[in-house]
Amino acid sequence: MNPTVTQDLSLFHLISSASVFVQLVMLMLLLASLLSWWYIFRKMFVLREAVKQSDDFEDSFWRGADLNVLYQRAVGSRYAPSSMERIFVAGFGEFSKHKPGANIDMMMDSIRRAMQATYQREMDRLESHLSFLATVGSVSPYIGLLGTVWGIMNSFRSLSNITQATIAHVAPGIAEALIATAMGLFAAIPAVIAYNRYVSDIEKLATRFESFMEELSNVLQRRAPTNLE
Amino acid sequence: MTMAYRQHLTSSEEPRPILAGALALLVHIVFIAILIFGFNWKDEPPASMIVDIWQDLPRPAPQPVEKKAAPPVQPEQQPKPAPEVKPEPRPKSSEPKPEQPRPAPAQASPPPPKKPEIAIKDKTEPPKAVQKAPTPDLEAQKKKAQEQEAKEKAEAERLQREKMEQEQREREARKKLEIEAQKQREQEEQRKREIEAQKQHEQEEQRKRELEAQQKREQEEKARREAQQAAARAQVASEISKYKAMILAKIKSRIVMPPDLPGNPVTEFNVTLLPGGDILDVRLRKSSGYPEFDSAVERAILMSRPLPLPPDPALFNEFRNLQVTVHYLE
Repeated sequence: MNPTVTQDLSLFHLISSASVFVQLVMLMLLLASLLSWWYIFRKMFVLREAVKQSDDFEDSFWRGADLNVLYQRAVGSRYAPSSMERIFVAGFGEFSKHKPGANIDMMMDSIRRAMQATYQREMDRLESHLSFLATVGSVSPYIGLLGTVWGIMNSFRSLSNITQATIAHVAPGIAEALIATAMGLFAAIPAVIAYNRYVSDIEKLATRFESFMEELSNVLQRRAPTNLE
Repeated sequence: MTMAYRQHLTSSEEPRPILAGALALLVHIVFIAILIFGFNWKDEPPASMIVDIWQDLPRPAPQPVEKKAAPPVQPEQQPKPAPEVKPEPRPKSSEPKPEQPRPAPAQASPPPPKKPEIAIKDKTEPPKAVQKAPTPDLEAQKKKAQEQEAKEKAEAERLQREKMEQEQREREARKKLEIEAQKQREQEEQRKREIEAQKQHEQEEQRKRELEAQQKREQEEKARREAQQAAARAQVASEISKYKAMILAKIKSRIVMPPDLPGNPVTEFNVTLLPGGDILDVRLRKSSGYPEFDSAVERAILMSRPLPLPPDPALFNEFRNLQVTVHYLE
């Protein structure tokens, strides 16, 4: 890092003249940022689709469609069923497996367990990769800071051979080191925003699923006596 | 529910992961582009304007010289054909016409004496002699041709000389012009230098004048200040004398003179005053010889307290130790 008379402070120059460690930090942060943005968009599509499919399924469910028809459609569908459909399939499948005249309480318990299991699995699926966003959001500023501190340390160490030190001797080093912090923040801010947004979205979906499970078990319980006859 | 169903039901089909990746890349590209352009905008130094200041326009003098010189160069070449045309009518016979090209080569060689020329003619022009054979007066013709050749040669020589002279003249003219231009330039420079010197001189004079004026002003100021001080001093002195007179008058008005003393005895007292006119101490400095007179004056001094003092406390120093002299007769 030779302080010359004319300092080229363009971005590429700053990055290319940084020390190897800082460059590694920058590369890491770039990868983290790329991955986090990828997950942000993926989650965005997944959640949007989940909300839309849940809307559709609830719509057709409450419009009074025949449960058997709904079940057949969900199972026989070429496309992967939505989360709510899966919960429904689990519950209704468990319900239809029971022989008429069985104990209603036991039947309802098993139905609830089946639905609960599916619900857990679905929540797991929806929440996947969110932890990555949380990690990027909380850690990448620190990684960036590490790179910056390292770069500034180096630029100050290069001052030791200079008798008349001016700010111009350290400025380029600090500038290139600060790029690491900037990148860390660039990776962290969207990740944190997306994480918070998606967590609240998933919570909303979870409440919808839970209320649907309760309502479905009510419907199935009402149908159980007729099954006995 | 078979395994296939389970698989079908649990498999998570994620919508458009590639599109998500592309979007992520796009976001980064946009961000980096913004960063780069942002950096570049600030990185470029403001375009500096270079202004050449000319004292006056570049002198066009050297160009006219060249232009004047250039045209004569062309005429140089043009006159050549003209003399060549002229010799044509001169020969009376029509035969020498084919010979005409020949003088040109001869022209190139330095003009040789006549005799060798004939020899050369003999050697070089046998075919012509054969051609000219039909004509009877070969000798005369030969002579004629020689004469003409000589004439032409002389003409060519003359032309060449003229040309050279002209060139010389032109060169001289050009040189003269150049010298003149140089002179003019030098004169102008001289003039400029003179003007500058004059300017400098004027500036110096101006500075000198200003300096003088300032000195004058300072002197005046000093004189005025001195005058003021003198006036103040005079005022102070007058004030002091005035108050001294007042003090003396007050003391005198209090003296009860002892009657019938002989002569005009004088008594002197040293009076020490306090600020405010109070009397600290009265001491007899020089007795008059008549104790009653001395004591009368001392009593009068003590009685006349407080003595009148000027209101300016700065003047009190003049009155701290006062000398009072009283004459018996006045």
